[in-house]
Parts: sequence; structure tokens; C-alpha cells
Amino acid sequence: MLWKKWLRSVGTAACIAVFGLSVAHAESDAPKGPSPEAVAKARKANEECFACHSEAGVEHPPVEGMDLKKLRGLIRSKEAFLASDHGRLACTKCHNEGYDDFPHAEDAKDSTSSCPDCHQKKADLAQAQFDKSVHAKHLADKFSCTTCHNPHVMRLASKLGDPHKIVQQDNRVCLGCHDSDERFAQFAPEKKDRPLIDDIHKWLPNTRKHWQAVRCVECHTPIVGASEPISHEVFDKTRAERKCVACHSANTMLKVRLYRHLQQDEQQKLGFVNSVILTENYVIGATRNPTVDRVMVGLAGLTFFGVLLHAIARVVASYLRRRKKND
Amino acid sequence: MTEERRREDRRQGERRAAEPAHQGKHRVYILPLWVRCWHWTNALLIITLILTGGSLHFSTTVIPHIEFSLAVRVHNVAGVLLVFLYAFFVIANALTGNWWQFVPKPPGLLERCIKQTRFYMWGVFKGEAEPYAVTPEENFNALQAITYWFMVYLVLPTIVVSGLIFLFPQFAPTEVFGMDGLLPVAVVHYVSATIVVAFLLAHVYLCTFGAKLTTTFRTMITGWHEH
Repeated sequence: MLWKKWLRSVGTAACIAVFGLSVAHAESDAPKGPSPEAVAKARKANEECFACHSEAGVEHPPVEGMDLKKLRGLIRSKEAFLASDHGRLACTKCHNEGYDDFPHAEDAKDSTSSCPDCHQKKADLAQAQFDKSVHAKHLADKFSCTTCHNPHVMRLASKLGDPHKIVQQDNRVCLGCHDSDERFAQFAPEKKDRPLIDDIHKWLPNTRKHWQAVRCVECHTPIVGASEPISHEVFDKTRAERKCVACHSANTMLKVRLYRHLQQDEQQKLGFVNSVILTENYVIGATRNPTVDRVMVGLAGLTFFGVLLHAIARVVASYLRRRKKND
Repeated sequence: MTEERRREDRRQGERRAAEPAHQGKHRVYILPLWVRCWHWTNALLIITLILTGGSLHFSTTVIPHIEFSLAVRVHNVAGVLLVFLYAFFVIANALTGNWWQFVPKPPGLLERCIKQTRFYMWGVFKGEAEPYAVTPEENFNALQAITYWFMVYLVLPTIVVSGLIFLFPQFAPTEVFGMDGLLPVAVVHYVSATIVVAFLLAHVYLCTFGAKLTTTFRTMITGWHEH
């Protein structure tokens, strides 16, 4: 019976809707990372660390006999740490037992956790990509995850959300070395002078404006799928993207790079192609309003065809006049 | 333009028309050298800007246009040159009194416009002559004066100023209604550019309305209008 079949399919759809929603709801509410109690405990424990590893700690050392010069180099911003992705963890989660008491154990540094201890899968993928990177060519032994990713301050792009903040955070990493002689010299092979960052990007119009709007890695890494993390295979200038239309076109690659975390429907709002870019930056060639385009092309087209029609009518009228005259 | 200046211009025109070399040819000198130089330089820059600007706006990875960074550089150079050329034109226009040519002058403006429109829409097909003859005092018919005034004193400054903001985006508002501040600048630049394209098409076509198809084009080179 048709009505029974219909009833069954409606029932099934209703079940899927109700249970599906509740499952989704349960998933979104599922706690990720440490529990609120664990976070509170970690923060309380971290206060002990920040008592020394802060400006205030250096100004007024809570313990006598500290090497203040060394301590100054180990100051960490509490605000930045609390806002970072690791801000819910205890310092001793990575800086292990040796740091529980003061003075710290002499071999405490040796037992500090490395990133793969927690992020093994990501680290394996990143390592494979990094091995093909320009940084791996001469600097493989000088580079670790933390050379670029400061675990005390950094946030995942997906959590930052705002493209301006993502750009600011990520470009600070690249420019930190490539726009600083001092830091560049720490890593560069001997006798390698730092190329001036503005000079090597002279071909790029409004260079500094670009760096405020997009990340270095938009051009200096290979394109990957929207669901895959941005590659760690950093390109040098010979392999970097130089085609402006890669970004400056309706099918801009920024959609799967800088703006990948913003929802697809967000990208089409306001009737603009890539309007999500529009709310952040106007990108010539990428943010276009199809209606405005149609009206403008229509106006020019109408003028052209109007002129063409008039010209044809003039030629025909002139021909008829001449024929009439000859008759 | 002062009355004295107009009389001087008229005298010059009559003197040239009376010269033996031009007798019987119905010629009248209407365009001084600086206007012709401005016109052709302006034309060259505008065409360059349309081609490069269109290529930038409609840039795509599929259809090859002018290479993007090349188009940006050419557009920027041509745009800056246009700014200087426009400034020169406005100043020269004011100093020589040529600005008066661009002012649609009453009385009977509406009537002249209607008569001119009737000629374009009907009379030209019947082989009628232009309803208003070109004179040194009035180079343009009423419709031309209105259109040219609109283009030269409204559209051109709009496109020049919006283009300058594009060139120095730091002067654009950071945000307008929650969107990037360059958006209104971009839309204004785009709309005025489209008006220029439409004007260019009609302008070139209307130049075939001279005594012969090429007469008006020749006028713009020699400065002499032939009836």
C-alpha cells in the first residue's frame, strides 16, 4: 500500500531527524581535553610556575638565590599561554617531574616531552612533508616543531577563526626569521646572508599589504585538500606560487587555504562570489557580485549592439536612397 | 570665456576660413593643437586602462587574459599618467577658456536636444544634414555638450579619485558596513569604468557622422572641421 510506504518513510525520516540531531548534539557537547576540574587544578599548579617565570617574578623573586639573568630569558606571558591551545594544560604536562620543585632537577630539561609524545599522527605527517621542505635541505638538524610553532602561545587556525588573526600569528613565525638578521643568523648556513624580504618580493605589488592580508604559506606551500592540514613542505622562491590569478580569480585558492575554516554558505552570503573574503579583504578578481557584473556587462553590451544596429540601419538606408536616386 | 576672447577666437576662425588655401573647401579651424594632443593621449591611456582593468576584474585561471602582475603594473602606470593628464586638461581648459565649450548653454537647450535626438534616430537615415553646424564658438551640439560635460567633469574625476584610493589602499576606510572599506571604492571605480566603455563605443561610432566616414577622425588630427 502506497500510504503505508509513505508513512514508513516519513517515520524513518522523523527518527533520523530526532536521533540524528540528538547524536549530533551529544557529539558537540562531548568534552574535549581535560575536564573543568582538571583545568582548574592545572591552572592553580601553573600559578607556582608563573610566580617566577613572569615579569613580576623577575622583579620580585619569590625565592632567593635565583639566576635572574637566565630567568629573564625564560619569562612566559600568562595571558598568552591561557589563550593558547595548550592553556588548559599544566606546565608539568610537558615540563615533566624534574620541574615540580625548585631548584629544578639538573636533568629536568632532558625529560621535557616533545610534540610527537601527544601529537604522533600529526607529527608523522608533518615530518614527511618537512623532509621535502626547503628548510630540510640545509637546516634539518636545526629545526624542530617548536622552531616555528611556539607551544606557549599558538592557536590552531580553525580555533582562531578570524583570518586577520591567523595571518598575524602565522606570518610572525616566518618573518620572525626572514625579516630579522639576528634570528636568521641563528639558523642560516654559514656565510649565507639574509636576502632582504622586500627585495625578493619586489615583483609582488603592494607587498606589505599582501602580508597583512594573506599568509606566506598561501604561496610557499603546495595546495592540499580543504580537509587536510596546510602542508609543512615549505617552498623556496623557485617553487612558490607566482600566478596572481591563483588567488585573484572567482575560483580563488584562498577558499581552501586562509578561508577554509569559514563555512561554505558564509562564502556565498550577500550575493557576492567569495563574499566571506569581502568581509575581511576586498580581493580584486575574487570578490565579485554577479548581479553588478551582469548589469555592467549588459550596459556595455547594449551600447555595442545599439551602435551596431544603428550602423546597419544607416548602411541599408543609404543603399536604398542611392538606389532610389538611380531609379 | 570672456567676451573679448570669444571675439578673438571668432576673428581667428574667420581669418583662417578666408585664407586662399582653404577657400571652397568649407573648412573651419576648431581644435587647437593642445586639445588634439590631450585627446589622443587620453584615448591611448583610457584604452590601455580598459583592457588591463577588464583583465584584472574578470581574471580567471581558465581564460587567459593579460598576465595579472603585468596588468597591475601597466594599469598603475597608465592610471598615474591619466591623473596628471586630467590635471593638465582641467588647468589648460580653465586658462584657455575651452571649458566654455563643455557648458550646455540655454536658451532652447531642451529643444535643441530633441532636434538633435530626432536627427540621430530618424534624420540620419533620410540623409538629412546635421541640424546644428559646427562653429569655432560651439564645437559641440547640445547633446554632445551635456554628454562631454558629464564625462569630463563627473565620470573622469570619479574614476581618477577612486583609482588613486586603489593605488594607495591605506587611505581607504578600513571597514564599511562590516565589509572591507575598499568595496565601495571598487564598485564606484567599476561602474564609472563601464560608463567610460559605453561612452567610448558611442563616441567612436558618432565620429562616423561627418561629411564622410573619416572626416571627423581627420578633424581630430588636423584641427580643421570640414562641412
